[in-house]
Amino acid sequence: MGAAGAAADMTAVDALTSPLLAGELKRQQKSVILLWLAGGASQLETWDPKPGAATGGPYRAIQTNVPGIQISELLPKMSQRLQQNTAIIRSLNTKIADHGGGYTLMDTGRLPEPGVDFPHLGGIIAHELSQPDSKVPDHIEMYTSTEGRRKGSAGFLPSRFNPMFLTDSMIPENISRLESISDIDHQQRADLRNMLAKNFQKNVHSSSVASHNSAFERVRGLMSSDYLFDVEKEPQSARDHYGPTQFGQQCLAARRLVGAGVPFVKVARAWWDSHGQNFETHRELCADLDHVMSALLHDLQQRGMLENTLVITLGEFGRTPSINGSLGRDHFANAWSCSLSGCGIRGGVAYGKTDEEGRTVADGEVNAGNLFATIFTALGIDPEKEYMLGSRPVPVADFHCSPIAEVLA
Amino acid sequence: MSQTPKIERAGEWNSKDILFSIAAVPETETLFVGSSDFRVYEFDLSVEKPERVEFTGTGHQSYVTGMALLGKTLVTGSYDGQLIWWNTEDRTELRRQRAHDRWIRRVISSPDQQRIISVADDMQCRVWNSESGELLKAFSDHPEITPHNYPSMLYAVAISEDGQHIATGDRTGHVAIWDAETFEKIGETEAPGMYTWDPKQRRHSIGGIRSLAFSPDGTQLAVGGIGKIGNIDHLGGQSRLEIFRWESDDEPVLIEDESKKGLIEQIVWRPDGKTLFGVGGDHKGFVNLYDVEKGEILTQEGGSGHIHAVSVDSSFTTLFTAGHNQIERWRLVDEEPAAS
Repeated sequence: MGAAGAAADMTAVDALTSPLLAGELKRQQKSVILLWLAGGASQLETWDPKPGAATGGPYRAIQTNVPGIQISELLPKMSQRLQQNTAIIRSLNTKIADHGGGYTLMDTGRLPEPGVDFPHLGGIIAHELSQPDSKVPDHIEMYTSTEGRRKGSAGFLPSRFNPMFLTDSMIPENISRLESISDIDHQQRADLRNMLAKNFQKNVHSSSVASHNSAFERVRGLMSSDYLFDVEKEPQSARDHYGPTQFGQQCLAARRLVGAGVPFVKVARAWWDSHGQNFETHRELCADLDHVMSALLHDLQQRGMLENTLVITLGEFGRTPSINGSLGRDHFANAWSCSLSGCGIRGGVAYGKTDEEGRTVADGEVNAGNLFATIFTALGIDPEKEYMLGSRPVPVADFHCSPIAEVLA
Repeated sequence: MSQTPKIERAGEWNSKDILFSIAAVPETETLFVGSSDFRVYEFDLSVEKPERVEFTGTGHQSYVTGMALLGKTLVTGSYDGQLIWWNTEDRTELRRQRAHDRWIRRVISSPDQQRIISVADDMQCRVWNSESGELLKAFSDHPEITPHNYPSMLYAVAISEDGQHIATGDRTGHVAIWDAETFEKIGETEAPGMYTWDPKQRRHSIGGIRSLAFSPDGTQLAVGGIGKIGNIDHLGGQSRLEIFRWESDDEPVLIEDESKKGLIEQIVWRPDGKTLFGVGGDHKGFVNLYDVEKGEILTQEGGSGHIHAVSVDSSFTTLFTAGHNQIERWRLVDEEPAAS
């Protein structure tokens, strides 16, 4: 079995302890963990603080380990990881400030068009980075809270790249073999189905049929991948490293999954929609984000995985600089922030600038398409690569959207 | 009370900032307020067009969230963790004290004005000599982490009128009662209804015990906050007041209000021991007068902005409130002034 084959199997979790094999994996296997801050986190309480401004809120800015770059005091652990791992983008202007529209824009990288089912980020990444013979899922999304729960899609790409969507449990349901069927029976049924399917496919040349068959061919691999989702297989020290919260344990699962060859894992942490009591909400949720994100980056780095794993921290929009009567901040998409860490990223960069009160982008304005082009470039995917939708070319990143060179390694 | 009382809004002064704390000079129209612009101001409401006058000096580095007036000395506390002593006559800084490692939520004084008491998100209650600024004691019965593994917050503190007991209340609804001389914990009670953890939809919380006050005879403890909220993105839940006879196991009196929603930010008992004021709000404000014996709101009035703090005059019929973009004056009318 080659390194790519090993990567596409649950045993790769343990195989990563082999330096030689890990090195081969690093060259060939790239992946993404998307930390989705559902509801919209405040840029002023995370990556772009404005201490002392009327809009600044009560929290201080703290110095990071990069001279000249400060972030909110609510992210003390991340402040000490910036140099090594993380680039901040402070100049997103995405304009759409409703949850549904913002989600669609920031999960597809472009505005919707009637009649075109654009693939979401996870679908594209899965399509571009998955191994053909992979036995593990290509696209996994965890969204446990119910508010704002939205499922990504492969869009017009083959259905294989749709997400395995985990909501109530961290471990996928209905992937175990029925007790009434023996393993031999199960294998023989699969063999029979494969023989019939191949005969059928000789006469029917259809992408749908091919996709259908591909899904069945991967069944046994998927059935055995439940091991990857079970964080109790990890030593207690690893579980403690990520902390006791659900978000922490899900990020540990995400690390296990990408380590085994899953190209895209989204961990949604809802719900940041702080219309009331913004500062209390961010004090609560930023503590979790700060600890878990820094633990994840540390863990990936220690395992030699970070240079091939891109960790994205993003939501559907940011929050208003103005503070409302409930000490809340409302939806805001005109000047907000995200971060990129790891694979292909130049650490220690704060790209773009907002004005003194954070109301507008003052320098380096970028949109969702620029962000997606940056993500693809960081992963070695040509952002101008085109999919053909019938006779229409559709580039993976939207037309005329160049990557942000300053944050790329 | 001789007649059905009524609360009237008797004045409103707009401000561009958010005012979190307030203290009124007895028998005058002079107020001190703590602001979201990190500064402390004096207002003289006796003039036709009051203008605020800023206290001078380095001042605070964050929201000024607590305030206690001791004669001509004002002590303020802030999210910057510092207590500052000010001379109110010339509005200059007298002393500053690095008081807490995290955000100070409330500052009060003992009835004899010999002590300052502060609570903060380091979950500590700290007692200070109001003259020297010396730390007398730090104590806590409040875990730093909630049962759901998120940071907790220590919002509220009160001292009884005889100065013998201190109460502290946190985000999860835990109340501890302390002997104010020995600083030993002598009691506790729980108000879990104030903790609005949402385990399913949004997975965070928004509430907590925001206000505490002992009854004049010290036997009852009023606890204020917010009750169950359908959508914790907003403060759209019933305001919630629970009144405990803290030395007994009696069920508390519970008064919830749907008509004017939000947090009860501060509570002031009236001298009769039967009624109390509660102020707060959601995006708008409210001033409620509660009948403790009947377990109901006697009268209430709404304001245009959330109210963060209140100062009451010696007759307990005039209230000054500090809130979102404004100071307001309120009067309780149609009743005899309460005896002090």
